[in-house]
Amino acid sequence: MREVYVAGIGITSFTRLEYPLIEIAAYPALMALRDSSLDKIDHLYVANMGAGRLNHQTGLASAVVDNLSLTPAGADGIENGPASGASAIKQGFLAVASGMHDVVMVIGAEKMREVNNLEATEFVATLTHPLAEYIYGVTLPSLAGMFTRLYMEKYGVTSRHLAMVAVKNHANAMLNPFAHLHEPITIEGILDSPEAATNNPFVADPLRFFDCCPVSDGAACLILTSAEVARKCGRPMVRLAGVGQATDTHAVHDRKDPTELLAVREAARQSFAMAKLKPTDVNVAELHDAFTILEIAESEEVGFFPKGQGHIALEKGLTKLGGQLPINTSGGLKAKGHPVGATGVGQAHEIVQQLRGEADKRQVKNAKIGFTCNFGGFGNNVVCLTFVREN
Amino acid sequence: MEMNIYAYKCKKCGHVQYPYRTICRNCHKNEHNEFDIVPLPKSGKLLTYTNLYTLPPDFEVVTLGLGIVELEDGNKITGQLNIDKPKIGMKVKGKVEVVRRDEYNEYMGMIFYPA
Repeated sequence: MREVYVAGIGITSFTRLEYPLIEIAAYPALMALRDSSLDKIDHLYVANMGAGRLNHQTGLASAVVDNLSLTPAGADGIENGPASGASAIKQGFLAVASGMHDVVMVIGAEKMREVNNLEATEFVATLTHPLAEYIYGVTLPSLAGMFTRLYMEKYGVTSRHLAMVAVKNHANAMLNPFAHLHEPITIEGILDSPEAATNNPFVADPLRFFDCCPVSDGAACLILTSAEVARKCGRPMVRLAGVGQATDTHAVHDRKDPTELLAVREAARQSFAMAKLKPTDVNVAELHDAFTILEIAESEEVGFFPKGQGHIALEKGLTKLGGQLPINTSGGLKAKGHPVGATGVGQAHEIVQQLRGEADKRQVKNAKIGFTCNFGGFGNNVVCLTFVREN
Repeated sequence: MEMNIYAYKCKKCGHVQYPYRTICRNCHKNEHNEFDIVPLPKSGKLLTYTNLYTLPPDFEVVTLGLGIVELEDGNKITGQLNIDKPKIGMKVKGKVEVVRRDEYNEYMGMIFYPA
C-alpha cells in the first residue's frame, strides 16, 4: 500500500445554515482546494446520511461534483449512518493507498435543520432495529440513557461527571470559531443551582439536555493524496497512518454486556496496529460524544484509560486543554455540533489543524499524533483513524 | 389466546436468537429459514431503563418508560415499561400489547409490569 497524506482541508460552521445542501457541501471543498493549491481531483466521495429524506435530494455526490466543476472525476455517495464521514475517508484512503487515484476529495455534508428537532431525532431513530427497538419508541437518546444508567451502576459514573464533559467541551467550543454552541456553561448552572432543573431538563434520564449534542447543519472536506502530490502542495505533511473499522449487533440488547463497546475497541485496535502506534502515543483525540457518556466510555474502549477509569481521568483534568491527552478540543459533537454525515470528516479536520499547528487558541502544544473515533448507530459501526505529523 | 414475542431456534445447533437473523449467530450453519419459532419467556429482571421525555411523533404521552430485560432463558429484549419506580435488578413480567400506533397500523410488542 502507498502512504496517504492530507494535502488540503476545509470546513463550514456547524450551525443552522440557510444555503442549499449542495452549496453547504461545496463550500469546504473550495476551501480545501485553495488550501492544497490543487484544482483537479481524480475522485470524490461525499458522506451524507439524510439528504434523500430531509432535503429531498438524492444522488448528492453527482450534484456536488458538478457544482464544483470537477466533472468528469468519478463521484460516490457514502451513507453509513453517523459514521458516514470516517467511512468516506476510509474509501478515499483505500483509493490512494491502492494506487488507483492520486488525488481524492472527501466531503461530509448534512443539512438537518430543514426539519425540526423532533423530526431530526425521529429520522436518526431509523438507525435502530425496526422490530426489536424502533416500534417501542426507541431513539438514540433513549439507547444512550439506558447505556448511561448501566454505566453509572457498574462504574460509579455520576451526573456530575457527565456535566464535566459538557462544561469542558463547551469551553473548548468557545475557542473554535466553527463550533455550533458558543455558550459557556457551569456545573452550577446545569446541575447544582435551583434553576438547573429548568435549564437542563431530562431528555432520557439520567441524560439531560446538556448531555446531548445539538442538531446541526454543516460540512467538512479533506483532500487525500499520494506523498508525491502532497509534497508539491506544500502544506505540512500529515499522514493518515491508521484506519480501523468494526461492527457490533444491530439491537443493543443483543450484546453480551451492553456497557461494552466492542466495535470501538476493535476499530481502535486495527487503527493503531496499522499505524504501528499505541494509544499512549496519542497527543490529541476527537471522540464521538453525541452524548456525554460516550466520551467517557470511548476514552476507555480505544485504550486511553482502563475500563471504568475514564471518568477518573476526566476528574483529574487529563482530557482538558493543557492536560495530558486533550479530548475534543474542537468542542466535540457536544458543542461543535453533529451534522451526522459530516461529523467524521469534521473530526479529522480538527486533528489535521492540530497536527499542522494551526488550531490557534485551542492548539495542543507539539501535537504529532492525533486520533478520531466516529461512532455509527449506537456503536454498531465504528471507524477509527490515526494521523501522524511528519517533518 | 395469549400473544407472544417469538424467537428463532436454530435447527442445526439449538441456539435461540432474538431478533431474527438469516444466519445463526452461534453456528453459522443453518439453511434459509431453518429455525423453529419459539415463544420468548415473559418473566425476567430489569437490566437497565430510561424515561424518555422527547418522544417520537407517534407517542402522545409525557414520558415513555423503556428498558432492557434479561429474560428467564437468558435472552434479552428491549420493551416498554409500565412501572412507577423502576429499579435495576427488579423482577418484571411482560404482556404483549399495542406499543405504537401510527396512521395506518398498530404495532404489538412487549410491555413490562412489576412482577
